Amino acid sequence: MTHPSDDLGIRIRGLTKTYDGGDPDHPALESVDLDVGVRRFVSLIGPSGCGKSTLLRVIAGLEEHDAGEVSLFGSTPSALCAAKGVGLVPQTPALLPWQTVRRNIALPRRVNRRAGAGGEDPDELLRVVGLSDVAHRYPHELSGGQRQRVAIARAFGLRPRLLLMDEPFSALDEFTREALRLQLLGLWQRRATTVVFVTHSVREAVTLSDEVVVMSARPGRVHEVLPIDLPRPRDAGVVTGSRMHALEDRVRASLQSAWERGAAPDDLVPL
Amino acid sequence: MSESSQMTATAPLRHAPDRPGPAPGPARRRTRPRGPLHPATWAPTAFVVVLLGAGWSAVAAEHPYILPRLSDVGLTLVDRPEVFLANAWSTLSIALIGVACGAGIAFALALVMSEVPVVRRALMPLAVVLNVTPVVALAPGLVVAFGFGLAPKVIVTGIITFFPVLINVATGLRAVPEPVLHVFRTLHASRFEVLWRLRIPYGLPYTLAALRVVMPLSIVGAVVAEFVAAGSSGGLGTLIRTSASAARLDSVYAAIACLAAMGVLMLALVSALERRVLFWHESQRTHASRPRRSHIAQRTEEHPR
Repeated sequence: MTHPSDDLGIRIRGLTKTYDGGDPDHPALESVDLDVGVRRFVSLIGPSGCGKSTLLRVIAGLEEHDAGEVSLFGSTPSALCAAKGVGLVPQTPALLPWQTVRRNIALPRRVNRRAGAGGEDPDELLRVVGLSDVAHRYPHELSGGQRQRVAIARAFGLRPRLLLMDEPFSALDEFTREALRLQLLGLWQRRATTVVFVTHSVREAVTLSDEVVVMSARPGRVHEVLPIDLPRPRDAGVVTGSRMHALEDRVRASLQSAWERGAAPDDLVPL
Repeated sequence: MSESSQMTATAPLRHAPDRPGPAPGPARRRTRPRGPLHPATWAPTAFVVVLLGAGWSAVAAEHPYILPRLSDVGLTLVDRPEVFLANAWSTLSIALIGVACGAGIAFALALVMSEVPVVRRALMPLAVVLNVTPVVALAPGLVVAFGFGLAPKVIVTGIITFFPVLINVATGLRAVPEPVLHVFRTLHASRFEVLWRLRIPYGLPYTLAALRVVMPLSIVGAVVAEFVAAGSSGGLGTLIRTSASAARLDSVYAAIACLAAMGVLMLALVSALERRVLFWHESQRTHASRPRRSHIAQRTEEHPR
């Protein structure tokens, strides 16, 4: 999908990344091109080893790349991080266990004050995500779902231009995932942040996204970018409708094709 | 839609079904943590102590020159408490000054090593050599170099406490989970912020585990130093040495009892510190049903009312 250059949040061209000691014939990422529009919600999905988490870490400036160009809102990942423009929600909540929920949410205000100590009022954010009751509790006193909500609230509290989420709901039960998906959508629609969301769940990708980027492995490449033209807000009527199911089937078919493209010959032998 | 009305849109999720609840599975017998006064806590130890006391008394009755009677040891402590208190204070001072110097230098060095790898590569082999060298063998040389005063005793105690703290703190400073480091890197946190807000707090369990080891070790160091460099300042080590020469076994064992009590007191202090500071850590979950606030969590920001 193409976007006018002014509306690009992320612009990636020819990105190649090989890990030290990795097979140079099968880089983690090879010639990845990707455009993500401003205030778009984009999911990365693909088989294991397709490089989606690597791509997220390169975008976050956590990994160096070998070749290609990564531009975030016209600047480099490092420059956007320095301006506190990037929020990260890792797979595990990554909360500081000796600090209360409130202090964890306020953490981005206290770190890197050179770039400003602004952001959202922690108490207001706690109220919005329904965590006011546990504001003075410590992470070990919370459930897994509550901890992940704190991590999401912490990232949104920064008011980042770009929010990167690496399978944030993968350790949660389906019921909790559903609740957190809705809450995430609520937060995103109000704050209009550009989001890149890595997931293994087709349903999650289709429910949340404007576009689903299907990746293939060996080497990691963008296989297909599928627009999700479901109306917003994605309420219960939308996510249980026939259009939703058709889009899920479309993503699954693309994933199957990506898997076959990236599978080693041995993988294709029937058991 | 206004901001306030939008914000209430997610309010029902306040009751999202992700609260902690009982784990599924077969019903388990409820176990309560037992306090120190519960018989199940103290009875086994008391039984062993009574058994040992009986054995001791039997040997002491037959061979008073091998073991003194426990009553004699008790009477010696009661008759001359000022002697034991003064000497205990002298030994305790050396132990505390030694552990403060040894552990303090080790902590500072571990911080430098974590930030400057070349310092780590340069000094760690030397620290290992110092650790494997018997400190008793070093003591006479230190007495020759520094005389019979406080200095050689503090140095011996410092050396004995240095290595466990260095190794543990160096390990603890690297114990920050990667996802947390990633969050800090995307916030563009400075190296000092990572050190102060992440590495040192995550290293605290390791630091306190080292203190748990070196606090009693510091008494060992002080006594060894007093054995080798008996100066005018006294100390329980000196008292043991002089009492043994005079065949006053009651005084020897009274001094040993004082040393054991000091060790227990030090361990109790470290345990109290651990419960206070590491309320969040897995190791303390069975001790603290209600979390305690550490110096890190500042009350004023938690309760802004």
